[in-house]
Amino acid sequence: MNNEALRIEDLHLSFQGLAGTKFSMPRSLSFFDKTRDNDREIISGANLVLQRGETLCIGGPSGQGKSALLRVIAGIARPSAGKLYYFGEHIPPERQTALEIAKRQVGLVFQNGALISNLRVRDNIALPLRYHKKGTAQEIEEKINMAMDLMRVRDFANFFPHQLSVGMQKRVAIARSWAMDPELLLMDEPTAGLDNYNRRNLLPLIDNMRTLFKTSIIIITHDLMIAKELGCNLCFLYQKKLTEPHPFDYWLHANNDISKELFRDLRTSG
Amino acid sequence: MEQYTNNDITKLTVLGRFFHKMGMFLLQRTIGQQVALFCRAISSIFSASRSFKTDSKNIILQTFFTGVEIFPVLFVVATLFGTIVIVEIMTMMGKMGFSDVVGNLMVVVIIRELGPILTAFLIAGRSGSSLTTYVGSMVIDSEVDALATMGVDPIRYLVMPGLIGGTIATFIMTIIFSGSAIGAGYLVIKGLTAITGNALNLQLTWDYLSTEILKALSMTDFIFIVIKPIVFGCIITTNACYQAMNIPRDIRQVPKATGKSVIKSFFYIVCADVILSLFYFLDYFNEISKII
Repeated sequence: MNNEALRIEDLHLSFQGLAGTKFSMPRSLSFFDKTRDNDREIISGANLVLQRGETLCIGGPSGQGKSALLRVIAGIARPSAGKLYYFGEHIPPERQTALEIAKRQVGLVFQNGALISNLRVRDNIALPLRYHKKGTAQEIEEKINMAMDLMRVRDFANFFPHQLSVGMQKRVAIARSWAMDPELLLMDEPTAGLDNYNRRNLLPLIDNMRTLFKTSIIIITHDLMIAKELGCNLCFLYQKKLTEPHPFDYWLHANNDISKELFRDLRTSG
Repeated sequence: MEQYTNNDITKLTVLGRFFHKMGMFLLQRTIGQQVALFCRAISSIFSASRSFKTDSKNIILQTFFTGVEIFPVLFVVATLFGTIVIVEIMTMMGKMGFSDVVGNLMVVVIIRELGPILTAFLIAGRSGSSLTTYVGSMVIDSEVDALATMGVDPIRYLVMPGLIGGTIATFIMTIIFSGSAIGAGYLVIKGLTAITGNALNLQLTWDYLSTEILKALSMTDFIFIVIKPIVFGCIITTNACYQAMNIPRDIRQVPKATGKSVIKSFFYIVCADVILSLFYFLDYFNEISKII
């Protein structure tokens, strides 16, 4: 069995691809779009290998295309070139859609939670489970309750998303993704908007997903301490390039532009 | 570097390439994409994730949203419209000595032409625009993307119930509009006659009105009473969802798309009505040829 959860080879992404999938259009049609001459590249030649059960943090200054990279992996944004392998299987360009990639147990937690606004918390978590008929009604109910307990949102089960704080919405979004038993979980800024208490509680949960469920996780974050606390590798999207992943301590003491710029505060504070 | 281009076209025969080009030409036009969206929404009914209970619930909710909530406005408009049409036809035709065509005119104006069109306009203005705003906001807030990343097909989850529910509601509302225009219009005229002491000089009875209308109704009318609202409903909901699904990620685009959805629905409805009216002409020609 291939031990790789994700492999990205020579990935290029431009602004046109970032516009995303047009769900109203036939699946393969968007691949016939003519590339605009003035289209600016966001990511140029990114390579990445993520092993099963591995957690990887991707950092970098704002506006470098970190979230865009996550959208490409989830199949929402369309790369202009490059190859993507999910669990050893190459997905050809015309099939690189979110629906196709979701079939491979890839989940995404959006930066804003992206909860369905007209569904209550409970129904938001239940939606994908019921849609994919993941077990009997009782099994689904148990899974929903477990997910809500894990993220401590059970008291808000009958609330609508607009009645929740940003941090709470994020916890529901994580619960929704967790309930689907993803093998590869993509998280966009999971700790942004969370207070220290909830942040402290979230990190062990992420760690548990890795150790107990062997979930591979990619975390996009500005909070570089996550990599230290989870003991995982960290790489950066910097000037259109994705760097090699290294442990937190490597970056902290490295003598390169990224470390000098992004770890300056951490170095001075000791 | 693997460039994302379509290399398979070169493998096609000359005829294959011709049809490919034709298909691509149509699919790159708005109308082609809307037809494709409609077909995908219909085909999604039979997808593996179908659930009778959930689908029925979504469709009923959409029917309620499209139809029931518009009912008060629709009823008032239909009543006033019916009153005007009945008064005008009764007075004008009576004066000109064409009393025997009163039923035919009512059928043409209320049941055949303006009834379905006005109902469709009301639904496009109220429910079509709401559908565009609702789905458009979901697109802006990444909710549609979130659905797709969970493996939930947005076409099936959002467009299909909108299409089926909206079409059912349009059909029911058109029948109610025509019924209200005639029935409530008649009652209003009776009320006005009683208040004004028959100043309008209308000798109108329900027996006369209903008999004239029933006499004038043909088989073609019954067929088109069903077909027209279904076509209009499909147009309104498909167009509303299409405009919403193509909103660029900018909140300012939502009102723009909503306006576009309503105006384009009006345009498509009128075009479809003209095309459907051609069948009536064929019907007339058929009748004339029988007489000759």
